[in-house]
Amino acid sequence: MAKDSKDLDYAGPLRRLVLAVLVLILTGIFLLWLIDSPRVERFRAQVTDQIVPNLDWAMAPVTGTIYLARDFQSYRRIVEQNSEMRRELRQMQSWIEAALQLEQENARLLDLNNVRLDPRLTYITGVVLADSGSPFRQSVLLNVGARDGIVEGWATMDGIGLVGRVSGVAQNTSRVIMVTDASSRIPAVIQPSGQRAIVAGDNSAAPPIDFLENPDLVRPGDRVITSGDGGVFPAGLLLGQVAAAPGGRLRVRLAADYERLEFLRVLRHYGNEPVSDTTDVLDGSAPVQPTSDEAAELSEVTE
Amino acid sequence: MNEQVSSRLWTMRLGFGLLVLAILFLHLLPLQTGAGGLIWPNFVLCFGLAWSVRRPEFVPAVLLAVVFLMADLLLQRPPGLWAVLALIACEQMKGQSRGLRDASLASEFVSVAVWFVGIGIAYHRILALLLVERAPLVPALVQIVVTVLAYPLVVAITHGLLGVRKAAPNEMGSKGVRS
Repeated sequence: MAKDSKDLDYAGPLRRLVLAVLVLILTGIFLLWLIDSPRVERFRAQVTDQIVPNLDWAMAPVTGTIYLARDFQSYRRIVEQNSEMRRELRQMQSWIEAALQLEQENARLLDLNNVRLDPRLTYITGVVLADSGSPFRQSVLLNVGARDGIVEGWATMDGIGLVGRVSGVAQNTSRVIMVTDASSRIPAVIQPSGQRAIVAGDNSAAPPIDFLENPDLVRPGDRVITSGDGGVFPAGLLLGQVAAAPGGRLRVRLAADYERLEFLRVLRHYGNEPVSDTTDVLDGSAPVQPTSDEAAELSEVTE
Repeated sequence: MNEQVSSRLWTMRLGFGLLVLAILFLHLLPLQTGAGGLIWPNFVLCFGLAWSVRRPEFVPAVLLAVVFLMADLLLQRPPGLWAVLALIACEQMKGQSRGLRDASLASEFVSVAVWFVGIGIAYHRILALLLVERAPLVPALVQIVVTVLAYPLVVAITHGLLGVRKAAPNEMGSKGVRS
Protein backbone atom coordinates (compact mmCIF):
# COMPACT_ATOMS: atom_id res chain seq x y z
CA MET A 1 0.00 0.00 0.00
CA ALA A 2 2.82 2.37 0.93
CA LYS A 3 4.54 1.55 -2.32
CA ASP A 4 1.37 2.33 -4.21
CA SER A 5 0.93 5.75 -2.71
CA LYS A 6 4.57 6.50 -3.51
CA ASP A 7 3.81 5.54 -7.10
CA LEU A 8 0.95 7.98 -7.10
CA ASP A 9 3.29 10.70 -5.84
CA TYR A 10 5.59 10.05 -8.74
CA ALA A 11 2.61 9.93 -11.09
CA GLY A 12 2.22 13.61 -10.52
CA PRO A 13 0.83 16.09 -8.08
CA LEU A 14 -1.11 17.51 -11.01
CA ARG A 15 -3.28 14.42 -11.12
CA ARG A 16 -4.01 14.69 -7.43
CA LEU A 17 -4.90 18.33 -7.86
CA VAL A 18 -7.27 17.48 -10.70
CA LEU A 19 -8.86 14.76 -8.58
CA ALA A 20 -9.26 17.11 -5.63
CA VAL A 21 -10.88 19.75 -7.84
CA LEU A 22 -13.25 17.16 -9.36
CA VAL A 23 -14.24 15.87 -5.92
CA LEU A 24 -14.90 19.42 -4.78
CA ILE A 25 -17.00 20.18 -7.86
CA LEU A 26 -19.11 17.02 -7.53
CA THR A 27 -19.59 17.51 -3.78
CA GLY A 28 -20.50 21.12 -4.52
CA ILE A 29 -23.16 20.00 -7.01
CA PHE A 30 -24.59 17.62 -4.44
CA LEU A 31 -24.65 20.31 -1.74
CA LEU A 32 -26.24 22.74 -4.18
CA TRP A 33 -28.89 20.11 -4.88
CA LEU A 34 -29.53 19.77 -1.14
CA ILE A 35 -29.87 23.52 -0.69
CA ASP A 36 -31.60 24.56 -3.88
CA SER A 37 -33.17 21.41 -5.21
CA PRO A 38 -35.60 23.01 -7.71
CA ARG A 39 -32.82 24.81 -9.55
CA VAL A 40 -30.69 21.67 -9.93
CA GLU A 41 -33.76 19.63 -10.89
CA ARG A 42 -34.51 22.18 -13.59
CA PHE A 43 -30.94 21.76 -14.80
CA ARG A 44 -31.44 17.99 -14.78
CA ALA A 45 -34.63 18.35 -16.80
CA GLN A 46 -32.76 20.48 -19.34
CA VAL A 47 -29.94 17.94 -19.63
CA THR A 48 -32.48 15.16 -20.14
CA ASP A 49 -34.27 17.35 -22.65
CA GLN A 50 -31.06 17.72 -24.65
CA ILE A 51 -30.10 14.06 -24.61
CA VAL A 52 -33.09 11.75 -24.54
CA PRO A 53 -35.10 13.09 -27.53
CA ASN A 54 -31.93 12.73 -29.60
CA LEU A 55 -31.76 9.05 -28.71
CA ASP A 56 -35.35 8.49 -29.75
CA TRP A 57 -34.49 7.39 -33.29
CA ALA A 58 -32.60 4.46 -31.77
CA MET A 59 -34.90 3.84 -28.82
CA ALA A 60 -38.10 3.50 -30.84
CA PRO A 61 -36.96 0.54 -33.00
CA VAL A 62 -35.32 -1.28 -30.07
CA THR A 63 -38.40 -0.87 -27.89
CA GLY A 64 -40.61 -1.92 -30.78
CA THR A 65 -38.58 -5.06 -31.41
CA ILE A 66 -38.70 -6.08 -27.76
CA TYR A 67 -42.45 -5.47 -27.62
CA LEU A 68 -42.79 -7.64 -30.72
CA ALA A 69 -40.89 -10.46 -29.06
CA ARG A 70 -43.05 -10.18 -25.96
CA ASP A 71 -46.20 -10.21 -28.08
CA PHE A 72 -44.95 -13.30 -29.81
CA GLN A 73 -44.59 -15.03 -26.47
CA SER A 74 -48.17 -14.16 -25.64
CA TYR A 75 -49.36 -15.70 -28.93
CA ARG A 76 -48.54 -19.09 -27.51
CA ARG A 77 -51.30 -18.66 -24.98
CA ILE A 78 -53.72 -17.51 -27.64
CA VAL A 79 -56.32 -20.24 -27.26
CA GLU A 80 -56.86 -19.80 -23.56
CA GLN A 81 -56.85 -16.04 -24.00
CA ASN A 82 -59.49 -16.35 -26.67
CA SER A 83 -61.88 -18.33 -24.51
CA GLU A 84 -61.21 -15.97 -21.61
CA MET A 85 -62.11 -13.03 -23.79
CA ARG A 86 -65.33 -14.64 -25.00
CA ARG A 87 -66.37 -15.06 -21.40
CA GLU A 88 -65.50 -11.47 -20.61
CA LEU A 89 -67.28 -10.23 -23.71
CA ARG A 90 -70.52 -11.86 -22.58
CA GLN A 91 -70.21 -10.14 -19.22
CA MET A 92 -69.40 -6.85 -20.90
CA GLN A 93 -72.51 -6.95 -23.06
CA SER A 94 -74.73 -6.98 -20.02
CA TRP A 95 -72.68 -4.13 -18.59
CA ILE A 96 -73.05 -2.12 -21.78
CA GLU A 97 -76.81 -2.43 -21.50
CA ALA A 98 -76.70 -1.22 -17.91
CA ALA A 99 -74.32 1.61 -18.79
CA LEU A 100 -76.51 2.87 -21.62
CA GLN A 101 -79.54 2.97 -19.39
CA LEU A 102 -77.63 4.77 -16.68
CA GLU A 103 -76.23 7.24 -19.18
CA GLN A 104 -79.70 8.16 -20.36
CA GLU A 105 -80.97 8.46 -16.84
CA ASN A 106 -77.99 10.57 -15.89
CA ALA A 107 -78.46 12.89 -18.85
CA ARG A 108 -82.10 13.35 -17.91
CA LEU A 109 -81.23 14.15 -14.30
CA LEU A 110 -78.47 16.56 -15.29
CA ASP A 111 -80.89 18.25 -17.62
CA LEU A 112 -83.47 18.58 -14.87
CA ASN A 113 -80.90 20.11 -12.54
CA ASN A 114 -79.54 22.43 -15.21
CA VAL A 115 -76.00 21.49 -14.25
CA ARG A 116 -73.05 23.23 -15.84
CA LEU A 117 -70.22 20.74 -16.08
CA ASP A 118 -66.59 21.73 -15.71
CA PRO A 119 -65.55 22.22 -19.34
CA ARG A 120 -61.88 22.83 -18.72
CA LEU A 121 -60.62 19.25 -18.44
CA THR A 122 -59.15 18.86 -21.89
CA TYR A 123 -56.00 16.88 -22.47
CA ILE A 124 -52.77 16.62 -24.43
CA THR A 125 -51.52 13.19 -25.37
CA GLY A 126 -47.82 12.45 -25.13
CA VAL A 127 -45.64 9.49 -26.10
CA VAL A 128 -43.55 7.81 -23.43
CA LEU A 129 -39.91 8.35 -24.39
CA ALA A 130 -38.05 6.73 -21.52
CA ASP A 131 -38.54 5.33 -18.06
CA SER A 132 -36.61 6.37 -14.97
CA GLY A 133 -33.80 3.91 -15.65
CA SER A 134 -33.64 2.97 -11.99
CA PRO A 135 -35.61 0.32 -10.10
CA PHE A 136 -36.01 2.73 -7.19
CA ARG A 137 -37.73 5.56 -9.02
CA GLN A 138 -41.04 5.20 -10.81
CA SER A 139 -41.28 7.86 -13.46
CA VAL A 140 -41.50 8.22 -17.21
CA LEU A 141 -40.44 10.88 -19.65
CA LEU A 142 -43.02 12.25 -22.11
CA ASN A 143 -42.30 13.94 -25.41
CA VAL A 144 -44.46 16.95 -24.58
CA GLY A 145 -43.12 19.86 -22.59
CA ALA A 146 -43.33 23.59 -21.97
CA ARG A 147 -43.55 24.06 -25.74
CA ASP A 148 -46.92 22.27 -25.64
CA GLY A 149 -48.09 24.23 -22.62
CA ILE A 150 -47.50 21.52 -20.03
CA VAL A 151 -47.51 22.88 -16.49
CA GLU A 152 -45.93 21.24 -13.49
CA GLY A 153 -48.41 19.40 -11.27
CA TRP A 154 -50.91 18.38 -13.93
CA ALA A 155 -52.39 14.92 -13.71
CA THR A 156 -51.70 12.25 -16.33
CA MET A 157 -53.84 9.25 -17.17
CA ASP A 158 -53.74 6.40 -19.58
CA GLY A 159 -57.13 5.72 -21.15
CA ILE A 160 -58.66 4.52 -17.88
CA GLY A 161 -56.88 5.40 -14.69
CA LEU A 162 -54.61 7.98 -13.12
CA VAL A 163 -50.93 7.36 -13.78
CA GLY A 164 -49.15 10.21 -12.07
CA ARG A 165 -48.27 13.84 -11.79
CA VAL A 166 -46.10 16.00 -14.01
CA SER A 167 -42.96 16.94 -12.14
CA GLY A 168 -40.20 18.62 -14.06
CA VAL A 169 -40.99 20.31 -17.36
CA ALA A 170 -38.36 21.16 -19.95
CA GLN A 171 -38.83 22.68 -23.37
CA ASN A 172 -39.61 19.45 -25.24
CA THR A 173 -40.00 16.85 -22.52
CA SER A 174 -41.67 16.46 -19.16
CA ARG A 175 -41.28 13.91 -16.42
CA VAL A 176 -44.24 12.14 -14.86
CA ILE A 177 -43.81 10.84 -11.31
CA MET A 178 -46.07 7.80 -11.13
CA VAL A 179 -48.51 6.94 -8.36
CA THR A 180 -46.29 4.00 -7.42
CA ASP A 181 -43.21 6.16 -6.76
CA ALA A 182 -42.14 6.40 -3.13
CA SER A 183 -42.52 10.19 -3.19
CA SER A 184 -46.10 10.15 -4.49
CA ARG A 185 -49.01 11.03 -2.17
CA ILE A 186 -52.47 11.31 -3.71
CA PRO A 187 -55.52 12.43 -1.73
CA ALA A 188 -58.30 10.02 -2.57
CA VAL A 189 -61.91 9.18 -1.81
CA ILE A 190 -63.12 5.61 -1.55
CA GLN A 191 -66.55 5.08 -3.02
CA PRO A 192 -69.24 4.21 -2.07
CA SER A 193 -68.44 4.90 1.59
CA GLY A 194 -66.94 8.32 0.91
CA GLN A 195 -63.96 7.75 3.19
CA ARG A 196 -61.02 10.07 2.56
CA ALA A 197 -57.51 8.68 2.51
CA ILE A 198 -54.06 9.15 1.05
CA VAL A 199 -52.70 6.75 -1.55
CA ALA A 200 -48.99 6.65 -0.76
CA GLY A 201 -46.63 5.09 -3.28
CA ASP A 202 -43.98 2.70 -1.97
CA ASN A 203 -42.28 1.38 -5.12
CA SER A 204 -44.63 -1.60 -5.27
CA ALA A 205 -47.19 -2.26 -7.98
CA ALA A 206 -50.12 -1.71 -5.59
CA PRO A 207 -49.68 1.37 -3.38
CA PRO A 208 -51.09 1.18 0.18
CA ILE A 209 -53.93 3.34 1.48
CA ASP A 210 -52.88 5.56 4.38
CA PHE A 211 -54.72 7.76 6.87
CA LEU A 212 -57.99 5.95 6.45
CA GLU A 213 -60.45 7.09 9.09
CA ASN A 214 -62.58 4.00 9.37
CA PRO A 215 -61.22 0.92 7.65
CA ASP A 216 -64.33 -1.07 8.56
CA LEU A 217 -66.37 0.86 6.03
CA VAL A 218 -64.06 -0.05 3.20
CA ARG A 219 -64.30 -3.36 1.41
CA PRO A 220 -62.05 -4.88 -1.24
CA GLY A 221 -63.41 -3.98 -4.65
CA ASP A 222 -64.47 -0.44 -3.71
CA ARG A 223 -63.51 2.24 -6.21
CA VAL A 224 -60.74 4.65 -5.32
CA ILE A 225 -60.88 8.06 -7.00
CA THR A 226 -58.98 11.29 -6.49
CA SER A 227 -60.63 13.68 -4.05
CA GLY A 228 -59.16 16.89 -5.41
CA ASP A 229 -58.08 17.92 -1.91
CA GLY A 230 -55.06 20.15 -1.96
CA GLY A 231 -56.03 21.54 -5.32
CA VAL A 232 -53.30 19.78 -7.30
CA PHE A 233 -55.48 17.23 -9.02
CA PRO A 234 -58.97 17.53 -10.37
CA ALA A 235 -61.44 15.48 -8.39
CA GLY A 236 -62.98 12.27 -9.66
CA LEU A 237 -60.14 10.66 -11.58
CA LEU A 238 -60.19 6.89 -11.24
CA LEU A 239 -57.20 5.42 -9.38
CA GLY A 240 -58.27 1.81 -9.05
CA GLN A 241 -59.92 -0.65 -6.71
CA VAL A 242 -59.30 -1.47 -3.09
CA ALA A 243 -57.55 -4.79 -2.52
CA ALA A 244 -56.67 -6.40 0.80
CA ALA A 245 -53.01 -7.34 1.03
CA PRO A 246 -52.13 -10.57 2.89
CA GLY A 247 -50.88 -8.54 5.87
CA GLY A 248 -54.33 -7.05 6.31
CA ARG A 249 -53.25 -3.73 4.88
CA LEU A 250 -55.47 -2.12 2.27
CA ARG A 251 -53.88 -1.39 -1.06
CA VAL A 252 -55.03 0.01 -4.38
CA ARG A 253 -55.03 -2.21 -7.43
CA LEU A 254 -54.37 0.47 -10.00
CA ALA A 255 -56.68 0.77 -12.98
CA ALA A 256 -54.03 2.06 -15.38
CA ASP A 257 -51.95 -0.57 -17.16
CA TYR A 258 -48.46 0.21 -15.85
CA GLU A 259 -46.75 -2.69 -17.55
CA ARG A 260 -46.95 -1.10 -20.92
CA LEU A 261 -47.27 2.65 -20.93
CA GLU A 262 -46.92 3.98 -24.44
CA PHE A 263 -49.15 7.02 -24.50
CA LEU A 264 -50.27 9.23 -21.63
CA ARG A 265 -52.91 11.92 -21.44
CA VAL A 266 -51.90 15.06 -19.60
CA LEU A 267 -55.05 16.73 -18.25
CA ARG A 268 -55.09 20.50 -18.46
CA HIS A 269 -56.16 21.69 -15.05
CA TYR A 270 -56.15 25.27 -13.90
CA GLY A 271 -57.04 24.67 -10.26
CA ASN A 272 -60.32 24.41 -8.43
CA GLU A 273 -62.06 27.72 -7.90
CA PRO A 274 -62.10 28.51 -4.19
CA VAL A 275 -65.51 29.29 -2.74
CA SER A 276 -64.97 32.62 -1.06
CA ASP A 277 -68.26 34.48 -1.41
CA THR A 278 -71.18 32.77 0.26
CA THR A 279 -73.41 35.75 1.07
CA ASP A 280 -75.35 35.36 -2.16
CA VAL A 281 -76.31 31.88 -1.16
CA LEU A 282 -77.23 32.88 2.38
CA ASP A 283 -79.58 35.75 1.64
CA GLY A 284 -81.12 33.89 -1.26
CA SER A 285 -81.15 36.85 -3.61
CA ALA A 286 -79.12 35.11 -6.30
CA PRO A 287 -79.76 31.78 -7.96
CA VAL A 288 -77.67 29.03 -6.45
CA GLN A 289 -74.79 28.11 -8.72
CA PRO A 290 -73.01 24.84 -8.24
CA THR A 291 -69.47 25.43 -7.03
CA SER A 292 -66.69 23.95 -9.07
CA ASP A 293 -66.25 21.19 -6.50
CA GLU A 294 -69.84 20.13 -6.88
CA ALA A 295 -69.55 20.41 -10.61
CA ALA A 296 -66.49 18.21 -10.57
CA GLU A 297 -68.26 15.67 -8.47
CA LEU A 298 -71.21 15.71 -10.82
CA SER A 299 -68.90 15.33 -13.78
CA GLU A 300 -67.50 12.26 -12.14
CA VAL A 301 -71.01 10.86 -11.94
CA THR A 302 -71.43 11.31 -15.65
CA GLU A 303 -68.18 9.54 -16.51
CA MET B 1 4.85 4.89 -33.01
CA ASN B 2 3.96 7.67 -30.60
CA GLU B 3 1.32 8.91 -33.00
CA GLN B 4 -0.32 5.49 -33.11
CA VAL B 5 -0.32 5.05 -29.35
CA SER B 6 -1.81 8.48 -28.86
CA SER B 7 -4.61 7.94 -31.36
CA ARG B 8 -5.44 4.60 -29.73
CA LEU B 9 -5.52 6.35 -26.35
CA TRP B 10 -8.08 8.88 -27.54
CA THR B 11 -10.09 6.24 -29.38
CA MET B 12 -10.38 4.21 -26.21
CA ARG B 13 -11.35 7.27 -24.16
CA LEU B 14 -14.07 8.05 -26.66
CA GLY B 15 -15.00 4.37 -26.64
CA PHE B 16 -15.52 4.47 -22.87
CA GLY B 17 -17.82 7.47 -23.22
CA LEU B 18 -19.85 5.70 -25.90
CA LEU B 19 -19.98 2.51 -23.83
CA VAL B 20 -21.48 4.37 -20.88
CA LEU B 21 -23.92 6.14 -23.19
CA ALA B 22 -25.02 2.73 -24.51
CA ILE B 23 -25.56 1.44 -20.97
CA LEU B 24 -27.62 4.50 -20.05
CA PHE B 25 -29.57 4.06 -23.27
CA LEU B 26 -30.48 0.49 -22.29
CA HIS B 27 -31.49 1.64 -18.81
CA LEU B 28 -33.73 4.35 -20.23
CA LEU B 29 -35.63 2.18 -22.70
CA PRO B 30 -39.27 2.40 -21.60
CA LEU B 31 -39.66 -1.33 -21.04
CA GLN B 32 -39.94 -1.43 -17.30
CA THR B 33 -42.64 1.09 -16.50
CA GLY B 34 -44.33 -1.06 -13.87
CA ALA B 35 -43.09 -1.11 -10.29
CA GLY B 36 -41.29 -4.02 -8.71
CA GLY B 37 -39.23 -5.03 -11.72
CA LEU B 38 -35.76 -6.49 -11.93
CA ILE B 39 -32.91 -4.79 -10.15
CA TRP B 40 -30.03 -4.33 -12.56
CA PRO B 41 -26.39 -4.16 -11.53
CA ASN B 42 -24.69 -0.81 -11.68
CA PHE B 43 -22.87 -1.47 -14.94
CA VAL B 44 -21.44 2.03 -15.26
CA LEU B 45 -19.50 1.60 -12.02
CA CYS B 46 -18.47 -1.96 -12.98
CA PHE B 47 -16.97 -0.81 -16.26
CA GLY B 48 -15.38 2.22 -14.64
CA LEU B 49 -13.58 0.02 -12.10
CA ALA B 50 -12.66 -2.70 -14.60
CA TRP B 51 -11.10 -0.14 -16.94
CA SER B 52 -9.39 1.68 -14.06
CA VAL B 53 -7.69 -1.52 -12.97
CA ARG B 54 -6.67 -2.47 -16.50
CA ARG B 55 -5.75 0.73 -18.24
CA PRO B 56 -5.88 3.79 -15.95
CA GLU B 57 -4.77 6.00 -18.83
CA PHE B 58 -7.92 5.18 -20.84
CA VAL B 59 -10.21 6.56 -18.13
CA PRO B 60 -8.79 9.86 -16.85
CA ALA B 61 -10.43 11.29 -13.76
CA VAL B 62 -12.15 14.07 -15.71
CA LEU B 63 -13.81 11.59 -18.07
CA LEU B 64 -14.95 9.43 -15.15
CA ALA B 65 -16.37 12.43 -13.31
CA VAL B 66 -18.30 13.64 -16.35
CA VAL B 67 -19.63 10.17 -17.10
CA PHE B 68 -20.71 9.46 -13.51
CA LEU B 69 -22.36 12.85 -13.17
CA MET B 70 -24.23 12.24 -16.42
CA ALA B 71 -25.43 8.88 -15.11
CA ASP B 72 -26.63 10.56 -11.90
CA LEU B 73 -28.56 13.16 -13.85
CA LEU B 74 -30.17 10.75 -16.30
CA LEU B 75 -31.01 8.01 -13.80
CA GLN B 76 -32.77 10.30 -11.31
CA ARG B 77 -30.25 9.99 -8.51
CA PRO B 78 -29.28 12.91 -6.28
CA PRO B 79 -26.68 14.50 -8.57
CA GLY B 80 -23.05 14.41 -7.49
CA LEU B 81 -23.00 12.11 -4.47
CA TRP B 82 -22.82 8.77 -6.22
CA ALA B 83 -20.47 10.34 -8.77
CA VAL B 84 -18.01 11.50 -6.14
CA LEU B 85 -18.00 8.12 -4.35
CA ALA B 86 -17.54 6.22 -7.61
CA LEU B 87 -14.78 8.58 -8.70
CA ILE B 88 -12.89 8.06 -5.44
CA ALA B 89 -13.27 4.28 -5.77
CA CYS B 90 -11.96 4.32 -9.34
CA GLU B 91 -9.00 6.53 -8.46
CA GLN B 92 -8.08 4.28 -5.54
CA MET B 93 -8.23 1.24 -7.81
CA LYS B 94 -5.98 3.07 -10.26
CA GLY B 95 -3.52 3.54 -7.45
CA GLN B 96 -3.54 -0.18 -6.82
CA SER B 97 -3.54 -1.12 -10.49
CA ARG B 98 0.24 -1.55 -10.67
CA GLY B 99 0.13 -3.90 -7.69
CA LEU B 100 -2.80 -5.78 -9.21
CA ARG B 101 -1.17 -6.17 -12.59
CA ASP B 102 0.22 -9.60 -11.82
CA ALA B 103 -2.50 -10.52 -9.34
CA SER B 104 -5.15 -13.07 -10.13
CA LEU B 105 -8.72 -12.16 -10.96
CA ALA B 106 -9.74 -13.37 -7.50
CA SER B 107 -7.70 -10.82 -5.60
CA GLU B 108 -8.83 -8.07 -7.96
CA PHE B 109 -12.41 -9.23 -7.43
CA VAL B 110 -12.03 -9.05 -3.65
CA SER B 111 -10.65 -5.53 -3.60
CA VAL B 112 -13.28 -4.34 -6.07
CA ALA B 113 -16.04 -6.00 -4.06
CA VAL B 114 -14.87 -4.16 -0.96
CA TRP B 115 -15.25 -0.89 -2.84
CA PHE B 116 -18.68 -1.80 -4.17
CA VAL B 117 -19.96 -2.60 -0.71
CA GLY B 118 -18.16 0.34 0.88
CA ILE B 119 -19.46 3.05 -1.39
CA GLY B 120 -22.88 1.41 -1.62
CA ILE B 121 -23.32 1.57 2.13
CA ALA B 122 -21.66 4.99 2.41
CA TYR B 123 -24.08 6.33 -0.21
CA HIS B 124 -27.07 4.98 1.67
CA ARG B 125 -25.83 6.22 5.04
CA ILE B 126 -25.05 9.72 3.77
CA LEU B 127 -28.50 10.04 2.25
CA ALA B 128 -30.06 8.78 5.48
CA LEU B 129 -28.00 11.24 7.50
CA LEU B 130 -29.10 14.14 5.32
CA LEU B 131 -32.73 12.96 5.42
CA VAL B 132 -32.85 12.65 1.65
CA GLU B 133 -35.43 10.29 0.31
CA ARG B 134 -33.65 7.11 -0.72
CA ALA B 135 -34.23 3.58 -1.93
CA PRO B 136 -35.32 1.11 0.76
CA LEU B 137 -32.45 -0.79 2.34
CA VAL B 138 -33.16 -4.31 1.08
CA PRO B 139 -33.33 -3.53 -2.66
CA ALA B 140 -30.27 -1.30 -2.25
CA LEU B 141 -28.36 -4.23 -0.74
CA VAL B 142 -29.64 -6.50 -3.50
CA GLN B 143 -28.27 -4.05 -6.03
CA ILE B 144 -24.85 -4.09 -4.35
CA VAL B 145 -24.81 -7.89 -4.43
CA VAL B 146 -25.83 -8.18 -8.08
CA THR B 147 -23.27 -5.51 -8.98
CA VAL B 148 -20.54 -7.54 -7.28
CA LEU B 149 -21.73 -10.67 -9.07
CA ALA B 150 -21.82 -8.88 -12.41
CA TYR B 151 -18.21 -7.76 -12.10
CA PRO B 152 -16.58 -10.96 -13.52
CA LEU B 153 -18.93 -10.73 -16.50
CA VAL B 154 -17.95 -7.11 -17.04
CA VAL B 155 -14.28 -8.08 -16.79
CA ALA B 156 -14.85 -10.78 -19.41
CA ILE B 157 -16.50 -8.29 -21.77
CA THR B 158 -13.78 -5.71 -21.12
CA HIS B 159 -11.04 -8.24 -21.71
CA GLY B 160 -12.55 -10.26 -24.52
CA LEU B 161 -14.84 -8.03 -26.55
CA LEU B 162 -13.38 -4.60 -25.95
CA GLY B 163 -9.75 -5.69 -25.85
CA VAL B 164 -8.86 -3.64 -22.78
CA ARG B 165 -6.19 -5.73 -21.09
CA LYS B 166 -3.67 -5.10 -18.41
CA ALA B 167 -0.52 -3.54 -19.81
CA ALA B 168 2.41 -5.90 -20.14
CA PRO B 169 5.42 -4.76 -18.07
CA ASN B 170 7.44 -3.84 -21.16
CA GLU B 171 4.58 -1.94 -22.74
CA MET B 172 5.28 1.49 -21.34
CA GLY B 173 4.74 3.49 -24.51
CA SER B 174 1.19 4.44 -23.77
CA LYS B 175 2.13 5.58 -20.29
CA GLY B 176 4.82 7.77 -21.73
CA VAL B 177 2.47 9.88 -23.79
CA ARG B 178 -0.17 10.31 -21.15
CA SER B 179 -1.18 13.91 -21.16
